[in-house]
Amino acid sequence: MTTEAIPAAAAKRSFRSPKNAKRIRQLGGILAVVVAWQISVWVIDLPPYFYPGPSNVFDAFIELVERGILPPYIGDSVGRYALGVFCGTSIGVLIGLLIGLSRLMSAVLAPTINFFYSIVEVAWIPLFVIWWGYGIKTIIVALVYVAAFPVLYNTLIGVRTVPTVLINASKSLGATNLQVLVNVILPSALPNIFTGFRIGAGFAFRGLIFAEMIAAQTGVGYLIFEGANSQQTDRTIVGMITIGLMWLVIDRAYLSPVEKITIERWGLVSDSK
Amino acid sequence: MNESTTVLARPFFRRWMLGLIPLGVALAVWMVAPAVADIPPFMFPTMASVLKSTGKHLADGSLVFNVASSLGRLAIGFVIGNTIAIPLGIAIATNTKIADVFQPVLTFMQSIAGIAWVPLAIIWFGIGDGAVIFVIANTIFFSNIYNTVLGVRSIPPVLFKAARSHGASEKQILFDLVIPGALTQILVGMRTSMAFGWRALVGGEMLAGTSGIGYITIEAVQWYQTEIILRGMIIIGVLWLVMDRLIFRVLEDRTVQRWGMIQN
Repeated sequence: MTTEAIPAAAAKRSFRSPKNAKRIRQLGGILAVVVAWQISVWVIDLPPYFYPGPSNVFDAFIELVERGILPPYIGDSVGRYALGVFCGTSIGVLIGLLIGLSRLMSAVLAPTINFFYSIVEVAWIPLFVIWWGYGIKTIIVALVYVAAFPVLYNTLIGVRTVPTVLINASKSLGATNLQVLVNVILPSALPNIFTGFRIGAGFAFRGLIFAEMIAAQTGVGYLIFEGANSQQTDRTIVGMITIGLMWLVIDRAYLSPVEKITIERWGLVSDSK
Repeated sequence: MNESTTVLARPFFRRWMLGLIPLGVALAVWMVAPAVADIPPFMFPTMASVLKSTGKHLADGSLVFNVASSLGRLAIGFVIGNTIAIPLGIAIATNTKIADVFQPVLTFMQSIAGIAWVPLAIIWFGIGDGAVIFVIANTIFFSNIYNTVLGVRSIPPVLFKAARSHGASEKQILFDLVIPGALTQILVGMRTSMAFGWRALVGGEMLAGTSGIGYITIEAVQWYQTEIILRGMIIIGVLWLVMDRLIFRVLEDRTVQRWGMIQN
């Protein structure tokens, strides 16, 4: 246990800049994993197709880049993901608003939405394959599906939970229906919409990898599956690392900032007291 | 007037009724459509054929067997993943420096976790139970160790200081502060990890399984047995609803009430 209660120790640490120390420890952690992995490869000594080391993986990475395989695969995956999530989110928000605005419609449709929400996209892929074959259409539809339902569901909840007082107040002050929608309902539902978007974006990324394993001829999901099929396990691991990095980039560079802006601008104002 | 009772009783009854309308419409359309429109049965099977094949597979026990083997794998993966993840997560998180070392690695592993491990699992374990269980346990492990660490780290440091200055032993801190303090986050994490684990189960069985609900659903694609696919989807949806609503939501509600850590 550290002795953070003692002020002198704290002062000493701030001298060494605790932020830097934290960075160093974090980098050390990553480095330690790579080193431990390489050492375990030397010690265990299994055939590289079964247990490739960091050096094999690095070689495979260079090879995949030099041959021009990896960059277009990443491009394909990102394109499919962006298209699917964009369409799915738009559809989810639109339908969620339409249904949410009507008390009757939301009571009628909510259980059905809930049910379709719980049929995971993975389970739809066999049916989509029957309908559209192995190809991009199947992948895109699966992504639209997986992105749309969490957004739809959460938009519905967001719209339903707008305090009626706010709507009545703005109406009695002479706001038109459109103004109520744009200035009252949408902003107060936005944090919910974003929660849905985040959940959907997360599942859609996994869904993309799975769909590409089943129904694609390019993309990182295809890369890891083909790598394993042809016993080029180093390629599989290159693909897995790429998948991890892609998700981190999507999450850090895109989802988190949008979420922060949403919360700062609209969310959590009323209930923080 | 007796209005209070009607107000209480009616919405519940009504909501049920209303929610059933789309189901009724869908069933009616499903029954009528094949007679009116010319849809080939492999594109969309008739209700009769779905019921018939379901009845057949219920009678020979294969459906029950496949569902049970899926749930068994999920349970094994869930137990293995959590038994390692929660104690390890607590151990990592109670020490700031160790937590710093592990955090980026865990964040990274958590972002790969899931279905992307299936190909590697096939190489290591071959097609079958081993690969599927590995993928589920792996998914649940990384998802939940991350949440456990977050949960412990979110306990205000002042509580540790307060407990220590009142003479709490390390054991008391662990059992009376760390575990209850992190529990809500851990349970939320369990529910989230289950959502990923469920996808890993169904997806893993499709790619690497030899039995189970995911396996029979993807196998049916080869023979264009769309009635089996459709029935598989319905079962997958219903099972998830049952698990999520009857187990995890109840568990979460109970503990959130018990420890009173309701957010916002």
